[in-house]
Amino acid sequence: MSRPTYLLDRIGPDSHTLAAYQKRGGYAALRTALKGKTPAEVVDVVKASGLRGRGGAGFPTGMKWSFMPDPAKDKRPRYLAINADESEPGTCKDRVLMERDPHGVIEGVLLACYAIRATTAYIYVRGEYRLSYDRLQAALDEARAAGLLGRKIQGSDFSCDIWMHKGAGAYICGEETGLMESLEGKRGHPRPKPPFPAMFGLWGQPTTVNNVETVFNVPFILERGADWFRSMGTKASSGNLLVGVSGHVNKPGVYEVPFGVSCLELVDGYAGGVWKGRKLKAWFPGGSSTGMLPGSAIDVPMEHDAIKNAGSMLGTAALIALDERACTVRAMEVVARFYDHESCGQCSQCREGTQWLSQIFHRIESGRGRMEDIEMLATLSKSMAPGKTICALSDAAAIPTLAVVKHFKDELEQHVLEQRCPLADPHAAKRPAALAHSH
Amino acid sequence: MTKILLNGREVEADPTKPLIHACHTAGAEVPAYCYHPGLTPVGSCRICQVEVKQGNAPARIVVACRTLVVEGMIVETESPAAREVRRECLEFLLKNHPLDCPICDKAGECDLQDYAFAEGQGEGRSNEPRRRLDKRKSLGDVIVLDEERCVLCSRCVRFMEEVPKTPQLTVGGLGSRSVIETFMDRPLSGNYQGNLADVCPVGALTLKPFRFQARVWNLKKTASTCGECSRGCATTVEVLRAGEVKRVRPRYDADVNTWWMCDTGRFAFPALNVADRIPGGLVRRSDGWVRADAADTAAAAARLLGIERPAFVAVTPWVTQEEGAAILALAREWKLPAYMVSPAPNGLADDLLHTGDPAPNRFGLEQLGFARKSPAEIIAHLHQSSAAWLVGERMTALIGAAALEALPAHKRIALFDVLPIPFAALEVFASVPLYAERSGTWLNVDGIPRALLMARALPAGMPSLERMIGLVAAARAVAVAPGPVAPSSVAKR
Repeated sequence: MSRPTYLLDRIGPDSHTLAAYQKRGGYAALRTALKGKTPAEVVDVVKASGLRGRGGAGFPTGMKWSFMPDPAKDKRPRYLAINADESEPGTCKDRVLMERDPHGVIEGVLLACYAIRATTAYIYVRGEYRLSYDRLQAALDEARAAGLLGRKIQGSDFSCDIWMHKGAGAYICGEETGLMESLEGKRGHPRPKPPFPAMFGLWGQPTTVNNVETVFNVPFILERGADWFRSMGTKASSGNLLVGVSGHVNKPGVYEVPFGVSCLELVDGYAGGVWKGRKLKAWFPGGSSTGMLPGSAIDVPMEHDAIKNAGSMLGTAALIALDERACTVRAMEVVARFYDHESCGQCSQCREGTQWLSQIFHRIESGRGRMEDIEMLATLSKSMAPGKTICALSDAAAIPTLAVVKHFKDELEQHVLEQRCPLADPHAAKRPAALAHSH
Repeated sequence: MTKILLNGREVEADPTKPLIHACHTAGAEVPAYCYHPGLTPVGSCRICQVEVKQGNAPARIVVACRTLVVEGMIVETESPAAREVRRECLEFLLKNHPLDCPICDKAGECDLQDYAFAEGQGEGRSNEPRRRLDKRKSLGDVIVLDEERCVLCSRCVRFMEEVPKTPQLTVGGLGSRSVIETFMDRPLSGNYQGNLADVCPVGALTLKPFRFQARVWNLKKTASTCGECSRGCATTVEVLRAGEVKRVRPRYDADVNTWWMCDTGRFAFPALNVADRIPGGLVRRSDGWVRADAADTAAAAARLLGIERPAFVAVTPWVTQEEGAAILALAREWKLPAYMVSPAPNGLADDLLHTGDPAPNRFGLEQLGFARKSPAEIIAHLHQSSAAWLVGERMTALIGAAALEALPAHKRIALFDVLPIPFAALEVFASVPLYAERSGTWLNVDGIPRALLMARALPAGMPSLERMIGLVAAARAVAVAPGPVAPSSVAKR
């Protein structure tokens, strides 16, 4: 495994402090950019690097930045919002960066602000990430004291402030427009698009929303160049990415790999193989909202297009492994209950559909399924997605449902025929019921 | 204006309004729950999906309430794809709906019921238990919420934020557990709460005064005008089986009140349901008041006003332009001064609709030539005159029963009001229909004509006020004409 790495290289004892960060050359990219590069040049370098967003959609970052209106024509204040509300089940990569390398995040945020000419950034941190919040806040205090944040940074004309915001536990606030509503102090209801954030974002002003890992890549790209960045990964997806491997593996964790590494290698190599010597039955490539694939299809490059061709999505590159004794219906019962719980409730299809799916999975898993339920799961999912609602939460519930019907129909049918879960551990604790709706 | 091709027909569309507005204007029936033309569209219920094709791009399904109209856009509201996505959406909306239409006040005018009836599958596929929530949650004096019926369209939330600008409602909870609530369950306040029941597309928010009062298909609806202030909001007066007025609702009028009305006006209707009216009138005889038919009552009034001097005529601002002109003509024949009793501002003025002036036809009557007099000035005139003709509903209330009772017995008053009160100076009383029972015109605070239509037939034997004034005029003509004519033949004219 002698692949070039950079994302996690700095991590070590006290790597969250300014002293440790600067000892490793921290903030050099920022200083260089402020002295020698215009914002437009920063955008160009990032465009040339091919950096794609790490928050799930994989949108080219430089292009997203260039959607911001021309500051000569549009004098409105502009904002950067950092989506650190990492809450997709299975995803835990941004947390490592925020806890262990917060100055790397801050340098990335400052460079992104410089590129889009924003003077204010907000970091929206998942409420449960207390250490991430504390470490980032401490790092901001250090940076401010060192003149790396605030007015006229490092003697340049660039002023920028970064504010922390703690989420309150709602998954939907990780959707970029829900996040902006939440930042404004409202309920995190995603906004209909258009208008898009670049024209009408926070408080109606031009806004870019970037993921933590995305901006974390920016200082490296500026220091080492777009060609260096393109030398890693694949043609369509350059650079390294952080993959969280969880589930039934021997060494769950966050691993840095170049785009295109085989998922087989991720499970068997990086994560030490399926635990207890068992076989891999199923896996989610990128968090619970990406469709489950059968274990036999594990030898797929970890890369947007390849996983799409395999019938799923890269998402946030959070691989969840299920061993041969796991019940995929049980897994989907949990996933469906999660989306029922987290739907914001605006759109009819999502509000009612996520509940409906959850109720059906719960019944099948509890031994009260009907054969027609399996077809219902599929037709309901097709009524919920794609693109039928304001945001993609409805899709997030529908896509894994369609996947389990496609790849594990036998198991669903077995549940119905036997009127029980054939894989249930008779000694396991009683499962929680579907969400109660009475007062 | 922008030209679009809507269901194969070229129509003009307002580019400042969403596509659904163009559809509705052109008569294409696109269902809507979260969309209301008076509120910011949010595109959340998703029921208004239609198929749109622009240029060479493939046809796509969009929510019509959040889609801008573009020149040359091809819109199909009834394409198989559009119908299918709306069917799917409706199935979700009905998933947890209690389907208690038989006991729901909204039944018959419910957007969800109508669309489910027109397009629904007839049979639900869900066997899951439905949401069990609060069926009767009081949100204050006006509104009661049925959480189970709510489709979470958020029209009510946006109404409170955008129209009276007193945000008090919100969506609480997440997902299928969402409910409409007020902060800390505080009751709603403000003078515009009644509109919440109108904006609610289903039976979730209903009016307490209308709860279980009538099935809406039994209500006869007549276009009318609110008589509670000088704004003159367009209304619909809804009468149950030719009897009681059960509900008054705002009617869209772009120039005056758009979709809204205040609660003061909306809930004034119990006053329209008066009992024990006298069809003709009362005339004083030596042994007290006796009932008389309309012609005899009119003749008695005409006799009195032809003889007694000094005298004056006063009307209330509920008198229409037509009635006012006839009264004024008579006053001029008799050479009597004509006044309008002017009520004081009632302190209910706001920035939205209520003007604070309770006189619906002040503008019109003053323009006709009635001189404005306060109730105190009218009382002073009564004391200085030997006779007066007081015409119009609410006359007794404006002047005050006590002031009338305090008049000395030698005064001779002809009172034309809705209900009689006995007082020593009362010589003639004639019954006047309520404004909801008359036809005519008021001019509102801005001089805009406001039409009244008869929402309910008059009690047998009671003429309209215009007819009654005509009878008085006829009786006066007879009195001044040479030769005797029997009063009964006048009545037959």
